Amino acid sequence: MSATQILSVLVFVGAYVLIATERVHRVAAALGGAALMLALRLTDGETAFHSLDAGVDWNVVFLLLGMMIIVGVIKQTGLFEYLAIAAAKRARGKPFAVLVTFVVITATASAALDNVTTVLLIAPVTFLVCDRLGLNPIPFLIAEVLASNIGGTATLIGDPPNIIIASRGGLSFNDFLVHLAPFIVVLMVAFVVVCRWLFRDAFHYDEERVAEVMALSEREAIRDKRLLWQSLGVLALVLTGFVLHGVVDVEPSVVALLGAGLLVLISEVTTEEALADVEWETLVFFMGLFVMVGALVKTGVIDAVSAALAGAVGGDPLLAVMALLAGSAVLSAVVDNIPYVATMSPIVAELVAAQGNTPQSDSLWWSLALGADLGGNATAVGASANVVVLGLAARNGTPISFWQFTRYGVVVAGLSILLAAPYLWLRYFVLA
Amino acid sequence: MRARDLAEEYPLVQLTDDALTAARLIAEQRRPGVVVVDADGKPVTVLPGSQVLRFIIPGYVQEDPSLARVYDERSGAETCVRKLEGRTVKELLPPKEKRYELPKVSGDATVIECAAMMARLRSPLLLVSDNDTIHGVVTTSHLLEVILSATGQAT
Repeated sequence: MSATQILSVLVFVGAYVLIATERVHRVAAALGGAALMLALRLTDGETAFHSLDAGVDWNVVFLLLGMMIIVGVIKQTGLFEYLAIAAAKRARGKPFAVLVTFVVITATASAALDNVTTVLLIAPVTFLVCDRLGLNPIPFLIAEVLASNIGGTATLIGDPPNIIIASRGGLSFNDFLVHLAPFIVVLMVAFVVVCRWLFRDAFHYDEERVAEVMALSEREAIRDKRLLWQSLGVLALVLTGFVLHGVVDVEPSVVALLGAGLLVLISEVTTEEALADVEWETLVFFMGLFVMVGALVKTGVIDAVSAALAGAVGGDPLLAVMALLAGSAVLSAVVDNIPYVATMSPIVAELVAAQGNTPQSDSLWWSLALGADLGGNATAVGASANVVVLGLAARNGTPISFWQFTRYGVVVAGLSILLAAPYLWLRYFVLA
Repeated sequence: MRARDLAEEYPLVQLTDDALTAARLIAEQRRPGVVVVDADGKPVTVLPGSQVLRFIIPGYVQEDPSLARVYDERSGAETCVRKLEGRTVKELLPPKEKRYELPKVSGDATVIECAAMMARLRSPLLLVSDNDTIHGVVTTSHLLEVILSATGQAT
């Protein structure tokens, strides 16, 4: 290894350790690492800001920004509260039926919105409905966050790691729908069945309390009908744009930005309100990560790691796919899956190219997505949505401990990976 | 005019009193809050009506305006009352480190001194006392009335 390679690995590992251990804020660690890479001339301004392969991936940054603005506006309509209360009433307050409707709503919404926003929207209604039914909200919250991470895996925009994978792998919105969504539907069915067993002690039915749920007026939750229709219209246009982006030759990031701009323009939401839910910290974190990983690309570290990995799997694509799936799941369970995928994407890109872009080699991308997204369910710190729900639960007087979450998370993540492995094998190796 | 001239007799509640009783006191007499005293009758803090509301309205409803609208009036009220049942005034108060500073002036304090203290602590009530003697309480409405009438602006 050359001196620049050793130096870039040292800076990268140092920043990664700080991010993983949370000894400093993750944004400070990523930006600090990026600054150090630039200061030590391990990368340069031209590469960091303008290179497609070794710089900030502006498609990812602007896709996230556009979707955050759209979601921020939709949040104000009360749509989620309406849907969840209507679903609870339709389930006639029966605890397991309520849980099933809530996890289905969460998983579906997570496929179109980001996971953190989805759980932030569903959690308050969960507290309300459980309070009215005299139920412990913890099993419901845990099931929802697990469903959110599963549902988010189905689409390009459902989970930030997928956005990175799509951009680095040149994969379209439809590619995700074709390759991941069918498996996620099957996984959701299995998840619901497992929930019946996992949370079997949580479903106490009290007929007298059901009246309290039936008395809730879901229609009142919609505060601005005009804004609701405007938001739904724009969301439908954006989703159509995503589906057609290959045909009309427009990047998903451009579709999201056009949607965000249109929604702000036609609605009466102020600019401040529209931007209030943009997580600037997350966007800056992404930029810092991209500069750091770009330095590893520029100094040739990624090439060396890819060559070593290709040698380790000995040109066996099935072994590579399974190793990547298992490795990604284990690593994503203990460290944030965003930096993990940002680091692995250029490596996977090289492995796919080395194997000649066959269906088998392309399945490495799906293996990475499934491992990283679903592995995040295993522990309380595996995904951002898990951390957010733990915080919400504590604030509302029903704290969920790390192990309480992990006890259920490990089972669901394990089941997900156990089902993903035969799916990848059958679809890309047996039936390809 | 001095604080002792403005002070009115005001209901006091003890830390161990029933929370529902304190809420009733605020509601029935249309008070902005009550003064809380310890077992020795020493003032501890002020319990404003808004703090009672913070206790009975769940945090998730306070943060989500859409959710606040879905309650029907009757069962919503029943839920609120249920939260007060069996609780003490002490339980209604924020934790000690977040508790409101006791808004207190001596009997000699001027009108503007009283107003400045209430403005700084955003308190609807001001306790007027000298050592262990409680003269009474000044309310925002009374204080504003005095200020307005000094300039001939009172109706």
